[in-house]
Amino acid sequence: MDVLTTLTIIFLLYSLYLLYKSYKLKCSRNCYLVDYVCFKPSPDRQITTRKCGEIIERNKNLGLAEYKFLLKVIVNSGIGERTYGPRNIIEGREESPTLDDAIEEMDEFLNVCIHDLFVKTKISPRDVDVLVVNISTFCPAPSLASRIVHRYNMRDDVKTYSLSSMGCSATLVAIDVVQNIFKSGKKSLAVVITSESISPNWYSGNDKSMMLGNCLFRCGGSAMLLTNDPAMQAQAKMRLKCLVRTHIGANDDAFNSAVQKEDDMGRVGVHLSKDLPKAAMRAFTENLKRLLPKILPYREIALIAFHIVKQKLVQPNAKLNKVVAQINFKSGVDHFCLHTGGTAVIDAVRQALRLSEFDVEPARMTLHRWGNTSASSIWYVLGYMEAKKRLKKKDRVLMISFGSGFKCNSCLWEVTRDLGDGDVWEDCIKEYPPKTIVNPYLDKYGWVNEETEETFNREERIEAFKNSPW
Amino acid sequence: MPAQPLPDFSTSVRLKYVKLGYQYLVNHFLTLLLIPMIATCVLELVRRGPEELISVYNSLDLDVIHILCSSFVIIFVLTVYYMSRPRPVYLVDYACFKPAPSCRVPFATFMEHTSMICEDPKSVQFQTRILERSGLGEETCLPPANHYIPPNPTMEAARAEAQLVIFSAIDDLIKKTGLQPKHIDILVVNCSLFSPTPSLSAMIVNKYKLRSNIKSFNLSGMGCSAGLLSIDLARDLLQVLPGSNALVISTEIITPNFYKGNRRDMLLPNCLFRMGAAAILLSNRRRDATRAKYRLLHVVRTHKGADDRAYRCVYQEEDSDGHCGISLSKDLMAIAGDALKSNITTIGPLVLPMSEQLLFFFTLVGRKLINPTLRPYIPDFKQAFEHFCIHAGGRAVIDELQKSLQLSAEHVEASRMTLHRFGNTSSSSLWYELNYIESKGRMKRGDRVWQIGFGSGFKCNSAVWKCLRTVKTPVDGPWAECIHRYPVDIPEIVKL
Repeated sequence: MDVLTTLTIIFLLYSLYLLYKSYKLKCSRNCYLVDYVCFKPSPDRQITTRKCGEIIERNKNLGLAEYKFLLKVIVNSGIGERTYGPRNIIEGREESPTLDDAIEEMDEFLNVCIHDLFVKTKISPRDVDVLVVNISTFCPAPSLASRIVHRYNMRDDVKTYSLSSMGCSATLVAIDVVQNIFKSGKKSLAVVITSESISPNWYSGNDKSMMLGNCLFRCGGSAMLLTNDPAMQAQAKMRLKCLVRTHIGANDDAFNSAVQKEDDMGRVGVHLSKDLPKAAMRAFTENLKRLLPKILPYREIALIAFHIVKQKLVQPNAKLNKVVAQINFKSGVDHFCLHTGGTAVIDAVRQALRLSEFDVEPARMTLHRWGNTSASSIWYVLGYMEAKKRLKKKDRVLMISFGSGFKCNSCLWEVTRDLGDGDVWEDCIKEYPPKTIVNPYLDKYGWVNEETEETFNREERIEAFKNSPW
Repeated sequence: MPAQPLPDFSTSVRLKYVKLGYQYLVNHFLTLLLIPMIATCVLELVRRGPEELISVYNSLDLDVIHILCSSFVIIFVLTVYYMSRPRPVYLVDYACFKPAPSCRVPFATFMEHTSMICEDPKSVQFQTRILERSGLGEETCLPPANHYIPPNPTMEAARAEAQLVIFSAIDDLIKKTGLQPKHIDILVVNCSLFSPTPSLSAMIVNKYKLRSNIKSFNLSGMGCSAGLLSIDLARDLLQVLPGSNALVISTEIITPNFYKGNRRDMLLPNCLFRMGAAAILLSNRRRDATRAKYRLLHVVRTHKGADDRAYRCVYQEEDSDGHCGISLSKDLMAIAGDALKSNITTIGPLVLPMSEQLLFFFTLVGRKLINPTLRPYIPDFKQAFEHFCIHAGGRAVIDELQKSLQLSAEHVEASRMTLHRFGNTSSSSLWYELNYIESKGRMKRGDRVWQIGFGSGFKCNSAVWKCLRTVKTPVDGPWAECIHRYPVDIPEIVKL
């Protein structure tokens, strides 16, 4: 019977080993944000008010109606004086962008930002296991992911993914890819790169619905390092708690709210329809329906359920607006990283979630300082919060972003240690929030509201502008 | 010259059997070891007799609690073991886009169009020479926009092509599998050179009214190997989401990528790339195991981007006139061979039988320690796979791989015939090749398939599938009406 006992002991030991292995696997399923770096372009790429005016006046396709429209947009945009644009637009070559312009714009970002990330986190590029790049409107061959592998000499078994056209919410799609790879348990390091390509996408026509992009989008980008290795937990800044993706493309109006197409003259631009805000709200509501049960504390969920049941019993056919009005979103979230799509977007989300001005201040200030940098904007917003030393251990940060399609993606992070790294906000955080964010255009270009089609003379105006002291 | 003596057949025949015997012994070593062990156990049991066994059982003094606890422990451990194993990924079915005959571009049409569009007669001559040696046939297809003189690559035309190829493939797949669009949980789309806003994945969500909690991904710029990348991504997601299925779309949109200039290295894609798309349904549900065609065994990815030459080998850039095109360098074959070697080094241990691995290992040891002039042993991959699907990138790629892997003409037949009938359809070509093998009635249960894709970057990706049920002919698909004419003999040079 010694044989039997030995066999039993071996079997028991092996079972214990299996249990230990599956426990270890479970521990490696968390997704930690080790660090992130936002991109700060060089100062010669700043687009000031004057620069914006020059660019608009250069475009011979624009008449008075378009001027009025553009100025109205720019004045209400909430964008400040220090946002950045691509070189070809600043140098006056926006009508004929070349492939080299687009690649140069990307290279400036990739060479600086990713290098800074590796230096900051003290990781070697050869240690990276997964690389996910999302740059929406530019997809050369070889992909930008391959460009990064080449530039930083990464290993040949690195898993690369190059996501494209997924809009301003693509950064959370990239994080979704990474978190799913992490759940397999194998310890890996992932780098996520998010940016947007502005140079090849300038719209040179006069269709109003397509000119909005020109006014709002600015250059920016960010690089993030994520891992599921529990050993790096001490170094990590945040841990991912949940991620919810919503896609309402099945609805035709939502799908057609942001479409890249040719205008009547054959020029390509992104047409933003009037249904865009409605689509955004619908997507946001869908997303909240699935997100709230995951982020709110049990007490709050029980309370909401109780109110819903009560309303259903009393007034079965009435809408649930009253119940929604009673939800305290801040019970489950301490900080809100909203996509800086524009002041309208920020105001709409603020109203829907009943947030205070303090809650949306990071988003407004990011819009003012950096403009709409598309998918990477939420990282600049996070950077603002960190620079203002708002992020403390155990705080919960909610990221919400919207994208063409129409998508609304959100995720909840838990801060793992007190944060205070200024990063790109270091040099200007003391100036924020500024006393006023009223656009100086209001003074300089107020004449537009007084001119009519008969009195408007483009050449005269350009002469006057060139001779002005400003 | 003196006549060569005839080889001694008796010794060579014995050697063949020796090798067979060696392979059988090594590959089934553990099974063979089990036989004497079982024999000894049985003999021992018989020797002891039933009374002794009963007395041993009684002496253990087991009562109900002991039995319950031990069975509980055994069941618990077995459950944990089974649950921690990776979920199997099944390929339920796939469908390829079948182009309409009106999109055909026979050689005469291609040459006529080229001579009317191209101003430089040398370029026309060059493209003629390429076409003659390309291995393409007369039935390959280009999208409607490319039939205009000059081609009319508007965004609208590109979207129309995308809708045509993708929706046809998905409709075919739905018909074949009875798939309900509302049941799709994951959607991965890969298209290298066309990336509109909203993405192609959003376009599919809109057309088929997919659910709002779908996980969609749109991969772009990843070249001809992107099909296997998408399969890898779908597999990673299916490992994590229980009871789900994934729809993977692989395509390349030709319309916006016609090269208008005269640089020779950029004219090649005009000659080789053709319209195509594939829709693949993957699942990790147990109930799909009975109706699935294949099971995914391995996906291995190799990225040679760190090497300068490899990175620049397939490169999109503008020529001196500002025309955008993709240049293919002369080093392409060498780099492909190199990338394949790296890929094989990883996949070899996963798929090769033990006999081949040991032979390779001993030859390696011999070369390093004993005699460096010993020829390196190239493992016989025909032992590991019954079918090979090599990306139909061009005739040269297929020739090169046939040589490096020592494959027979029948093994590469699927690739050559796909290149002939459909041209280089980029990432979807592997699926046309698989369909060829099935249509020929060669796919039997238990067969293993190796799909190899190459792409810009430079990437080499492999996927290994195992066939779960014999595929009966006739097979409904792009080969349905022409399979009886294949294989055809493709001459080295077709005189035009």
